[in-house]
Amino acid sequence: MYYLGVDLGSLSCDAVLLDHEGKIMAASVVPTGARNREAIARATQEVLEMARISEAEIKATISTGYGRDRVEGRLAAVTEITCHARGAHALLPGTQVLIDIGGQDSKAIRMDGGGRVLEFAMNDKCAAGTGRFLEAMARALQVDIGELCELDLGASKNLTLSSMCTVFAESEVVSLIADGVEVNEIVAGLNRAIASRIAALVKRIAPDVAGLKVAMSGGVAHNHGVVRALSSALNTEISVPQQPDTVGALGAALVARERMLP
Amino acid sequence: MMKQLFDDMAADMEARLLDHYTARLRFTLENARLCQRLYSDTHRLAWCGVCAPFDLLNAMGISSCFVEYLGAVFAAAGSAGQFLEEAEHAGFPTDSCGWHRAVIGAAAKGMMPIPDVMIATSSPCTGGVAAVEHLARTFDCPLYVLAIPPDDSESSVRYLADQIRHMVDFVSAHTGEALDDDRLRYAMHKTNEAREAAIEMFHLAQRIPSPARAADLRNFGITLPLFLGTEAAVEIAQAYRDEFAARSGQGISGVQGERFRLMWLQEAIQFRHPLIKMLEENYQAAIVIEELDDIYWEPIDAEDPYIGLAQRTIAFPFNGQADRRLKHIKKLVQAYKIDGAINPCHWGCRQGTGARGLIGEALKELDVPVINLEVDCADARNFSEGQLRTRLEAFMEVLDSRPGRRSTN
Repeated sequence: MYYLGVDLGSLSCDAVLLDHEGKIMAASVVPTGARNREAIARATQEVLEMARISEAEIKATISTGYGRDRVEGRLAAVTEITCHARGAHALLPGTQVLIDIGGQDSKAIRMDGGGRVLEFAMNDKCAAGTGRFLEAMARALQVDIGELCELDLGASKNLTLSSMCTVFAESEVVSLIADGVEVNEIVAGLNRAIASRIAALVKRIAPDVAGLKVAMSGGVAHNHGVVRALSSALNTEISVPQQPDTVGALGAALVARERMLP
Repeated sequence: MMKQLFDDMAADMEARLLDHYTARLRFTLENARLCQRLYSDTHRLAWCGVCAPFDLLNAMGISSCFVEYLGAVFAAAGSAGQFLEEAEHAGFPTDSCGWHRAVIGAAAKGMMPIPDVMIATSSPCTGGVAAVEHLARTFDCPLYVLAIPPDDSESSVRYLADQIRHMVDFVSAHTGEALDDDRLRYAMHKTNEAREAAIEMFHLAQRIPSPARAADLRNFGITLPLFLGTEAAVEIAQAYRDEFAARSGQGISGVQGERFRLMWLQEAIQFRHPLIKMLEENYQAAIVIEELDDIYWEPIDAEDPYIGLAQRTIAFPFNGQADRRLKHIKKLVQAYKIDGAINPCHWGCRQGTGARGLIGEALKELDVPVINLEVDCADARNFSEGQLRTRLEAFMEVLDSRPGRRSTN
């Protein structure tokens, strides 16, 4: 028997399939797009095909993410806060502070080292510092979002952006480009701005992270530049699992398995 | 138009009460009657700050209400948006308090009855004083400002008692309504009777499981003072007391299968939303207390009420330094055996958002988690159900996974 976790986020729909022992059989990430149901079906189909099993062999499904209530056939919907904590604990045992930056929100989660959530804080009603923010900045810079990861390398001018509002920051980036500022300097400035905002969120749940095991999940964790800037802002090492964008779906699958255990 | 609306509402509630009497319906009827009076041309009217001595004004035959109440009425009716926009068009910032913006906009649109007199109170917030001052200018209406001292020293109490006396003279001079001794004495007796019944009612609400649920107590503590000094306040408090006693006696809890006992801080979200129902139905979480649901004051001496009224006003939990509020919250958390607290962090409110860190720290000392929602309780235009739902659901998952509970996660 198998356990499925589905994380329907604003930018991507992720699925993770576990076997009865909790081993990861398959993971999938597809763009959410405008049609949630299609994204869920596609992500699910992909993991089923990778694992070469039929849907009937799934014993339980847990959904998570902002669209968690739209996943049909689920055993239950569990929030992404709980699921990311579970997933991070499985991949990086002992994690005490988890930073999850998703498509439209960011979260700082304080954990007890055993995967249990002690406290959490989420971004205010603003997409600054999230995946959407980076998408807008990549558009302004006329680069692919995937390219942003290393574009900060070699920057030395310690440029700061005065606004974290997505709209204003986009205008500022356009002005900087027009002024002839090097792209790597702008990207480094953007990363520092995001890091400063996320560090403030982290400090709400862990005023001092010294000595705590800090990890990061969510699609933005693929961006090494942001991770570096955040690590510098918090003055600590940040661990990132190999597939940071499927941590929530993994957590959901783990919860599905736990709930079905006798 | 508004008068007709409240006339219809009151008539409907009176009919429903004859059919099935509940404390909440009785309380709601009294609110509708107050709105009827506010919008009738037949009563003298005083718009006030939150901490005005409404029992005195009731004794004088003045229909009175704090201005934020009207903002809440508009929000509950789903009509606050147009008034908020009106205030914003006039230059009031969108991140200022929604209650004040709503009434300022309503006044500008001619939807707020013109008062005979206005009474600002420096507690709970200076924003409230500014809003009342602005409205007094709009209405070209006489204004009295009660400067409420932060401390309860003898001199501070005397200072406020003198102001309240002077306020009565001021209101009398501008309305022609005198405060006669017998009516004053009667009002204070009624205030004390309502106080006694409310104390019993709150004790009953503390039981496990609690006979109270969010829909019973929503806005109770902040609104009951409007009816103090009248038989209506006594009837309402006694109705709640009797209903809670009956429920408890029959083993009926406010939320069936109560698993979590929550406290709602500051004020409720006034527009319609599904979050409380979600907490009750999906998590069996009962909001057993709102922060202002408490009797924090001593009985008033009917023969010499001004000192007692001043002491009551100063003792308001939001008055003075945050310490008073934190102490009060902690007292309630312990009395009601609260599992977790919800802080809406009303936008634009220094009490609401400004104190959230202090509240979090104070509750941490009691090992009680608190969730900050960051919502404008007056403005449905900024309401993001999904974001708040995720915060609340995650909060319930945190509470559910705490040691000593059988986790379902």
